[in-house]
Amino acid sequence: MLRENLISMPRCSRTGFSVLVTFGLAVMNLGCGNGPQAVFTYRPTTDDLISEANKAVTKTLTEDFGTPEKLVAWERFPINYGGVKGTVASTDGPAGSVTVSLEGDSAKISKNASLLWISGSQANGKSAETSVKGFNAETKTLQLASGAGAPSAGDRFVVGFGEDMQLGRVVYMKNCMHCHGVTGDGNGPTGKFLNPRPRDYRNGKFKFTSTQSQEKATRDDLHRIVQYGIPGTYMPSFLLLGERETTAVVEYIRWLAVRGEFEKRFVEELTNDYSQTAIKDSTDKAEKSYLEKKRNKEEAEKPLNLSKAIKAAGTAFKKYVDDKELDGAIEETANLLAAAWTQAETPEALVVPTSQRVEDTPESRERGRLLYMSNTTKCYTCHGPTGRGDGAATEDFWDKPGTNVKYPNRGLHDEWGNPLKPRNLTSGQYRGGRRPLDLFRRIRAGIKGTPMPAFGDTVLKEPQVWDIVNYVMSLPYQQKQPTAVKHPSETVANNEEKPAN
Amino acid sequence: MHWWFPGDGNAYSTLGGKIDDLFYLILVIVSVTFVGTSAALGYALWRGAAIKSDEKVWFSHGSHSLEVIWTIVPSAVLLFIALYQLDVWAEYRMKGFAKEKDGSPKVITVVAEVTARQFEWRIRYPANGKPLKPTPQPDDIYSVNELHVPTGGLVTITLRTDDVQHAFFVPMLRVKQDAVPGKMIPVWFDATMPGNYEMLCAELCGWGHYKMKAMLVAQSADDFEAWKDKASADQFDDGYRKPAE
Repeated sequence: MLRENLISMPRCSRTGFSVLVTFGLAVMNLGCGNGPQAVFTYRPTTDDLISEANKAVTKTLTEDFGTPEKLVAWERFPINYGGVKGTVASTDGPAGSVTVSLEGDSAKISKNASLLWISGSQANGKSAETSVKGFNAETKTLQLASGAGAPSAGDRFVVGFGEDMQLGRVVYMKNCMHCHGVTGDGNGPTGKFLNPRPRDYRNGKFKFTSTQSQEKATRDDLHRIVQYGIPGTYMPSFLLLGERETTAVVEYIRWLAVRGEFEKRFVEELTNDYSQTAIKDSTDKAEKSYLEKKRNKEEAEKPLNLSKAIKAAGTAFKKYVDDKELDGAIEETANLLAAAWTQAETPEALVVPTSQRVEDTPESRERGRLLYMSNTTKCYTCHGPTGRGDGAATEDFWDKPGTNVKYPNRGLHDEWGNPLKPRNLTSGQYRGGRRPLDLFRRIRAGIKGTPMPAFGDTVLKEPQVWDIVNYVMSLPYQQKQPTAVKHPSETVANNEEKPAN
Repeated sequence: MHWWFPGDGNAYSTLGGKIDDLFYLILVIVSVTFVGTSAALGYALWRGAAIKSDEKVWFSHGSHSLEVIWTIVPSAVLLFIALYQLDVWAEYRMKGFAKEKDGSPKVITVVAEVTARQFEWRIRYPANGKPLKPTPQPDDIYSVNELHVPTGGLVTITLRTDDVQHAFFVPMLRVKQDAVPGKMIPVWFDATMPGNYEMLCAELCGWGHYKMKAMLVAQSADDFEAWKDKASADQFDDGYRKPAE
């Protein structure tokens, strides 16, 4: 049972042109009793901030993104929160109704839908939020609820704002949350039992996309994953979810990804100066050098102890806020994310082959095999010389990115720190899709957040990529490894070798 | 009449009507039995309450004739059901193996291999004009949660599971078959009308059991072939589009 409680609250945001609106859903009853309350959790790095900074971050996140029960739609981001926008054309009609021009599908306007004034005299007044009594599609007249105030021609409004977002949340809570978690961190109740682990959206990265290596995922990519699932993982197909539900949940997931990455990037701005770990590190270092100097009988000032240092950082943070630097950081992060997600939807972001697939001949496969075994691509180091995903790289210990610390387990890891096996290309399962186009994109743009690199246009020319695609696609059906042509290194190095006893 | 049956109540397979008839037969038998035994019990209670305390009690325990009666009557009913349903069962589970009337072996064309896994159905079809091989072939066509079958004749699918036990269930066709790990189970059914039918997992297979909802799309043989051609073209799409001139 879901009780909907629409509490729309327009608010002037920092820049004035974007609208922040909250809409909520009171209590979600899961199962027989009241389930645990759904809450967005924060990253460990957020929790590590000193209390002043932590409060600022959590306040920003709550104000600009809301809670699972009371979402906030920050219009800065390219997310379809739902609703039909329009402009008042004239107010000549009978009292309480206006003629309008709509920018969307009028069929979406339901009776008693909410109406929100975006601009005009009503926008900041008491009657900024009202509702619609009905809509006549023929005469384009919108009947307003009593107390809607007196709008004038040219006023902009939105009907049913946030409806898609609310639907997306319901669909997400029903179908996705168990694995992907309320926050989209891949830490749902069943998440920890799965291998591979469910995707953590909070890096803003999705693995199987149609876009260039630096770009975000497109709506179509996410739509396809929700519809068809990811074979070989526990992401099932939700083909029968319904078009409206799928579209809504895709928007909700994009929004979760934006929220998560906003938190990540925003906290990264503050971590160096205002995290407890960083402060402890620097006080430890100062203490050490102080003792060192003292031992050498040099003049030295006693450094601050930890609690004093944290207090000092707190004062510094207040100045940081007063200097509007915090607001600047929020602005910058929001701009960056909005631009990135907008960019992903442009045609330039897509990886599209400019030539046809090279004909799938034994010669082409052989060329592909030689490229696969070559040191230009180094495919074999991970995927193995026979494509079974057992290359030498899977036996090594690898560094955690950005550190000198090695992972405790052998083998490759993804950006999320989970162990990752290179795909066994002989299994015939293709997580990102089995079309030649999908394989082409995997080679061209890599797999985001994993060691699978993007070969781009410089290392491999398009026909060469197609040769590799042809070779890889032939692997599951190969009875014997071709022995006709040997890799150059094999013929040179191994010819003289005698078999070991 | 059939309002309590799935969908609009009608069975959309040839065998479905017979299965419904069996259902009604058993329903009538158990109804009569239930009403009869309840009435007998009620009568016994009512009679017992009227017995005077000084009357001698009659114990039926150990009565040979009574024991014989209530052993033979239910046995006869069960035997009747067992024999009566034999034909439907044979048609559903065994006649696909049998020879044609002229003695030639029956040709079974398998439409698809349906693999259940937590929590979806993955389906593999042979390319148009080719038989389904037990192992994947380069030109096989794949779909997920959408099983396409031709109407107008018996179709066979090979049912498998990747992980735990599942059950292939199309309520509107009255088809149900468990999928057992390690087994490839042939399932025969037909769809009399083109249309979309709900396809479910009918064996609690894990926490996401409820998500295992799919669709069975019954199409005329021509439409089915056309769909396979289209699916194949989509699957082997290289993404190259000739630039508009």
